[in-house]
Amino acid sequence: MEPKVEATELEYRSGICGLKPGDIGFDDIHGLISAPPPPPETSSSFTALLELPAPQAVELLVNSLEVADEFPAKPDIAHFPPPQIFPSNIALIDHASKFSSLPLADNSSENYSLLSVSSSKKLDIVKQEQMDSDSNPNGSSPAISDQILKSSKRKEREKKVKESNKKSKKVVQNESYEEGGEKLPYVYVRARRGQATDSHSLAERARREKINARMRLLQDMVPGCKKISGTAMVLDEIINHVQTLQSQVELLSMKLAAATPRFDFNPDTLLAAESGSLMDSSHPGMFTPSVWPEGQINGNSQQSQQLWHFDGLQPVWGGEENNSNFITPDNSFLSYDTSRNSAAASLHSSQ
Amino acid sequence: MKARMGYSTSLKQEFLQKWIKGLHIYSNFKKDMSILERKKAIKLSADVAIASTRNSSTRWSRTLTANISKNVTNKILVEQIFSDPEVIKNKASNRLITCSNRIASRKILRRSHITQIRARKMGPYAVKASSIAKKLVKNRTQVLKSLVPGGENMDEISLIKETLDYIVSLRVQVDVMRRLASAAEHSTRSL
Repeated sequence: MEPKVEATELEYRSGICGLKPGDIGFDDIHGLISAPPPPPETSSSFTALLELPAPQAVELLVNSLEVADEFPAKPDIAHFPPPQIFPSNIALIDHASKFSSLPLADNSSENYSLLSVSSSKKLDIVKQEQMDSDSNPNGSSPAISDQILKSSKRKEREKKVKESNKKSKKVVQNESYEEGGEKLPYVYVRARRGQATDSHSLAERARREKINARMRLLQDMVPGCKKISGTAMVLDEIINHVQTLQSQVELLSMKLAAATPRFDFNPDTLLAAESGSLMDSSHPGMFTPSVWPEGQINGNSQQSQQLWHFDGLQPVWGGEENNSNFITPDNSFLSYDTSRNSAAASLHSSQ
Repeated sequence: MKARMGYSTSLKQEFLQKWIKGLHIYSNFKKDMSILERKKAIKLSADVAIASTRNSSTRWSRTLTANISKNVTNKILVEQIFSDPEVIKNKASNRLITCSNRIASRKILRRSHITQIRARKMGPYAVKASSIAKKLVKNRTQVLKSLVPGGENMDEISLIKETLDYIVSLRVQVDVMRRLASAAEHSTRSL
């Protein structure tokens, strides 16, 4: 997962700058790129948790972003490939942050933000102070394109996302780009044109980007959230979802409590019926002896041995006649215990 | 895709095993429980099981186990399900308190600074609109914090991350429980 994303990133960079050695420490960059970034523990588990391979997550973002991307001066910078954007891949962000320590060759009013890909689809109105590409695409594009070309040669190595959003209706502070006081190792943010470049706002922006990246992930997680725009609405949906899930847990536990026989709270019988459905989710109630030899439950068989004591099943077949209902499921249940097959066989025959 | 299926399936199975283990402990511990007691036992075992799948790496799982372990009887159950004793939860809570004050004061300063700048830059209406939006978001985050166990002291970033993890775990829990419930019903009905 990680190396593959790395490779594409490398291609992107070399494609942009054509491997110009005139830039600062380009070999270092290559070394940095090729060195496998130690993914922070949280990120690797995070992406695994999401069960989204990084390229897939990337793809999600690319698709969502290509819709929003409307930079008019694109032909001028045609050699920039459509942004391979990995902002929500935390490992990559971490990787990218290594570049933040590289000093810039030149100061320019052209500033790009690494993670501001969401600017064209803002999640909340709060981000007004950030540049909004939609608001001002035309006026500044000719002037910008020159600067873009100039700065591109110097800055491609630090640019992961070609951010086209320029802000010129705000108070323009065309001050020099400052390698911001961004100390966080995970997010690399560059001040955009006209924006304050002091460390506070940079840190603030980095924080916002982080939050937005994770909100996007959450949006993908919760069904029906992708179309919603606006953090408040998305949060609404998320809250709704969590509440639903929690109430479902309550409901199901009640249901289970009601379904087990009143006189005997024995989960074994339920497990027998259930594990069949876990296996292939087809027919929970049909347990024929043919199920018995198949110990196909992945890992259940070896781990279940110590759990389900044979003796524990005795009360089930005790004097209670209602318990006879569960004899059939119990037989299949016993199948998971391969070491006690002989006992199971005797049970089966005794039925 | 296959990796994805494998991961969730193994998670489900792990949860299921631990849950069954907990149920066993309960049934051995107390015979003839009423329906409400049974429901409580089921839910508790399920919660402990799903929290233990995270191995205390997430805050919500730690908080959940801590809350459950407050009851002495449950503590035994918890310790039996977990392979190692639960000492981490104490440390976690201490860490929370010390950090939150510093973070809060820093946030207040930053917020005031930001509002000044924004008030200068943007028109008056824009400021108000954005502040309203912020208020909405803040309300929602408060609600979310109350929902996710252990979410009270977290900052937004980790809150979102915890929510994600929590949602996934809840889904696993609901899925397994639903199957078990339907299977149990099916078997009771058919016989």
